Amino acid sequence: MTEGLHGFSSPRADVFPAGLRVLVVDDDPTWLKILEKMLKKCSYEVTTCGLAIEALDLLRERKDGFDIVISDVNMPDMDGFKLLEHVGLEMDLPVIMMSVDGETSRVMRGVQHGACDYLLKPIRMKELRNIWQHVYRKKIHEVKDSESHEGLEEILMMRNVSEQQSDDGYLFCGGDMTPGSRKRKDSEHNKYEEKDFADHSSVKKARVVWTVDLHQKFVKAVNLIGFEIGPKKILDLMNVPWLTRENVASHLQKYRLYLTRLQKDDLKTSSSGPKHPDINPRDATDKGSEPIKIQQNEAVSSHRTTNNLIIQNPKSTIHEVDIKGNAALQTIKPKKIITGYAAKTGISHPFESTHYSQFNSVLPTQYSWGGGFKEIQFKQENNNHSQFQVHNGCFTGLGLPAQQTTSIPSFQPPDPVIGPTWTLKQDPCTEQTSINTINNMERSPFLLQGQHCSSTTVDHQNKGVTEFNEQEFTNDALKFDYDYEYPDLWEYPVVGQGLFIV
Amino acid sequence: MSSVLQLQRQFIDYTTSLHNEGYLDNQFTELQKLQDESNPDFVTEVVSMYFEDSDKLLNNLTTALQQRNVDYKQVDAHAHQFKGSSSSIGAKRVTNVCAHFKGFCEAKNLDGCLRCLQQVKQEYIFFRNKLEALFRLEQQILQAGGSVPMVE
Repeated sequence: MTEGLHGFSSPRADVFPAGLRVLVVDDDPTWLKILEKMLKKCSYEVTTCGLAIEALDLLRERKDGFDIVISDVNMPDMDGFKLLEHVGLEMDLPVIMMSVDGETSRVMRGVQHGACDYLLKPIRMKELRNIWQHVYRKKIHEVKDSESHEGLEEILMMRNVSEQQSDDGYLFCGGDMTPGSRKRKDSEHNKYEEKDFADHSSVKKARVVWTVDLHQKFVKAVNLIGFEIGPKKILDLMNVPWLTRENVASHLQKYRLYLTRLQKDDLKTSSSGPKHPDINPRDATDKGSEPIKIQQNEAVSSHRTTNNLIIQNPKSTIHEVDIKGNAALQTIKPKKIITGYAAKTGISHPFESTHYSQFNSVLPTQYSWGGGFKEIQFKQENNNHSQFQVHNGCFTGLGLPAQQTTSIPSFQPPDPVIGPTWTLKQDPCTEQTSINTINNMERSPFLLQGQHCSSTTVDHQNKGVTEFNEQEFTNDALKFDYDYEYPDLWEYPVVGQGLFIV
Repeated sequence: MSSVLQLQRQFIDYTTSLHNEGYLDNQFTELQKLQDESNPDFVTEVVSMYFEDSDKLLNNLTTALQQRNVDYKQVDAHAHQFKGSSSSIGAKRVTNVCAHFKGFCEAKNLDGCLRCLQQVKQEYIFFRNKLEALFRLEQQILQAGGSVPMVE
């Protein structure tokens, strides 16, 4: 992360784009060899990987060791789109997708998951020659973002404008956000950020690499105070001297975006979810996305530091996480329910319809982030979740936890990194039972944020936890245990791994 | 010398006909361009990898279609893989048959799938034979002291 102000991570910025460090991921050995050769001919530094999981490990190990990732969409161990999200979330690197299938819907998915480009095989060398533009563009935008973020906050502070959220992408909620909650956010921002502004506005942002540790700290802080509080508070809590509020702010923004996206994806894909509780984990073909989503929500709720935002809707019993496809999720089967969170947060919001079912899938697996970012996962799964609605108004529809200003659920599970603490506790009383309900889920996982919602303190968690197990979760996923070991589907080690990852 | 020239001529003609008949496409030419001193056997290496991989894929396809309850998703996945790797070396006809194959998988048309399987196997064998012939020609040229011409 020591990049200069220019933000080029490549140590050979002076000869850019030569020396661009590319990671190629493809399960087809023939293609891998060809791409490697082509990229070398472009004077890039190439590393190849035949498995997505390997690629993620490599990326995590060498946090700042790559500039761009090129990955195939169809891989046996993990959906390319999932990998894409993970990379974006954890490492924030540009990712190019490739496939021999150029169907519009696929390309669309790629873009939705954050791909900066989608190449059709057979790939010509000239197409690879220009991939450096994505790296360059990202760098430029990063600098801009941080600057503009500051600017936006400043405006917000000064005028107490609530649009800022949308500008920044913080506002995920489709519009359920009530003016009241917005204002609250604004004022909170004002409270916390006012003094910082002047100090930082002139500082040019240097690129910060969000390491696993750093991210974990971030998530912890966010969990404690929530997204709405604002970067300054988060920064304070993180207690990282060299980190600036802007860094946190832009990271926060990204995080939220990811969550939203996950949610959307999730909702979309999971809508068809299994109708019965048996989640078939293996179904997934594209499940990858789904599972996560839910988790996110759920997890989020657990964290909800602020209050009890718990996704768990006591009523809704998330039953079976509809893991539709979440193979990953299913495999994950958290061993235990993360009670930790639940207890902590005291879930307060009983969601009416927690349809957490979605969570099933989402859960555990991916979230190994230290904090449970399952972001990546969330995104996917969240599609369905978006519907969550928090009773107290905290949750708003899709994904964006509208009210809560922070919409982004605090992902970070309370210490044990174990991913989502969703303790999906679903009260048996809820009617939800199968994941099917996921579709109905109104609550958006994000909403858990309970910051504003404090009202219902559902303490489901505590009780839910056990209940959960009883529910027919087919997915086990819901129960996250701090130690749960996720199946290696996604190989995410649950334990606090880097940023968002599991 | 004349034999080298003749061989080179033969090589060019053969390559051109393979392109014309649709056995090879531009991707193959791209591969040839990638070959250089640091990697003088690049093309043959890649092609060998393809052959190995293809043998496995074809076996998988055959097995999958022999099941009592055919899992079309699985068959489609194999076909997709085969399509991908065939496109990597420019095996155009094989790639095209794979595309049809996938269509039948989607429609869960067993008959169509079985026919495609036959067809793809056949195309693959043709392709393999032709490439091997091409490589033999190349070897002959090199052994005769000549260089392999680039056919655009």
